[in-house]
Amino acid sequence: MLEISGVYKTFTQKNGATNALQDVHLSIKKGEFVVLVGPSGCGKSTLLNIIAGLEKPTSGQVCKEGRPILEAGPDRMVMFQEAALFPWLKVIENVEYGMKIKGLGKRERREKAIHFLKMVHLTRFATAYPHELSVGMRQRVALARALSMDSDILLMDEPFAALDSQTKSILHTELQQIWCATKKTIIFVTHNVDEAVLLADRVIVMTANPGRIKKEFRVQLGRPRNIEDIDLARTVGQILGELKEEVEKVAKAELDSDWTLENNSFVPGSNTHLGNGI
Amino acid sequence: MQDLSIPIAAQISMRRLLVGYLISLLVGLLLGIMISRSKYLDETLSPLLLGMQTLPSICWIPLAILWFGLGEESIIFVIVIGAIFSISMAVVSGIKNVPPLFIRAAKTMGAKGWHSYTTVVIPAALPSIISGMKQGWSFAWRALMAGELLTPTSGLGYVLIMGRDLHDMNQVVGIMLVIVIMGLVIDRLIFARAENAILYRWGLSRN
Repeated sequence: MLEISGVYKTFTQKNGATNALQDVHLSIKKGEFVVLVGPSGCGKSTLLNIIAGLEKPTSGQVCKEGRPILEAGPDRMVMFQEAALFPWLKVIENVEYGMKIKGLGKRERREKAIHFLKMVHLTRFATAYPHELSVGMRQRVALARALSMDSDILLMDEPFAALDSQTKSILHTELQQIWCATKKTIIFVTHNVDEAVLLADRVIVMTANPGRIKKEFRVQLGRPRNIEDIDLARTVGQILGELKEEVEKVAKAELDSDWTLENNSFVPGSNTHLGNGI
Repeated sequence: MQDLSIPIAAQISMRRLLVGYLISLLVGLLLGIMISRSKYLDETLSPLLLGMQTLPSICWIPLAILWFGLGEESIIFVIVIGAIFSISMAVVSGIKNVPPLFIRAAKTMGAKGWHSYTTVVIPAALPSIISGMKQGWSFAWRALMAGELLTPTSGLGYVLIMGRDLHDMNQVVGIMLVIVIMGLVIDRLIFARAENAILYRWGLSRN
């Protein structure tokens, strides 16, 4: 249903142009859970923003059900790394905001908002202001707000990156449940390979400079998935292997020229004189 | 004969202040929104606003008297000029500092044009707008006093200058106290309340 064809994105800055995306082709089926992973600067967030319609590609286009995407719209909800809740609105008003624009009646809005707050287990805090919630709770509200729009596509830009790992793993489980229950198409951006394999039907590995799709992995494991699962760990290993040279490439561009991943991943322990006492 | 009793003088001053302040609020808000919407206006008008704000409103009195004559209009004009620039500058900076993330989030939910302006941009800029309004209010007071001291008509400033002319320092200090008290009361009743309500909502209050 989503067709990304020949997308290029170039950012022009004072010190020259960077190719954030180069010739990206990708098609995503309805109801699929696709995760984009890659080193920082590989353009995965840019690609998500282009799908969202928040940025325009330099060339190429993204089509949804045959129609090109020209601007942001409520059929493609986005969840950002920060919750982006409006601090002047109560939690429930935040959830209702989008539905209000959609033109839903007051009572329907309220009912739906409560329904989705229930889905993320936050009905108790409906009348609180966002600052009274923890970061994880705010992200839950943002999820409820995104779900309330009934969009068929949900775009998530590292939504759990700022959370502590316990909260994150709870939300991973819940996101999988919500995905199974709502059958939405989810495109999820992350740099965390564990997270990617845990959630995805399909993991798209991207490379940096220029940003391109390097490889695709299908993850055919049953749900709910467990991070300790051996098959999952094997897939993670494969993807990490694929990413290793990418990470090295990016780090080399940023660090001094004498740096290599091989040399700097060796940590001499205190116990380097094994056998001395024999 | 002018009636110099304080309540009447205070009432006259207050009416001028309110009229002038409301005009400056309205024009200041519109001016601020216009500037923040257009880069061209921003580049041409922003330095001008800053310059005008550094100019004490008392400097406008000769021109005001020339344009509007000795009377109500010229005092109100001075009040408007005194308050308008700080209000519109606060609106401009408030709108400029709205986190882009809010606007992006609103966009993806389908907010467009004027609607996203009234439901996202203005509320997000409100803390800054309120502090600009507060500043504008104190500038308006100053302008009012300047106007009333220099154009002998009526009001608190006139009573004060009468006290000077009659060497009646009791009256001068009394009027000064009245001005301080009125300023405090209005701040407590209106601005402090609005500010606290917003700070509480945003989770910025200290207690």
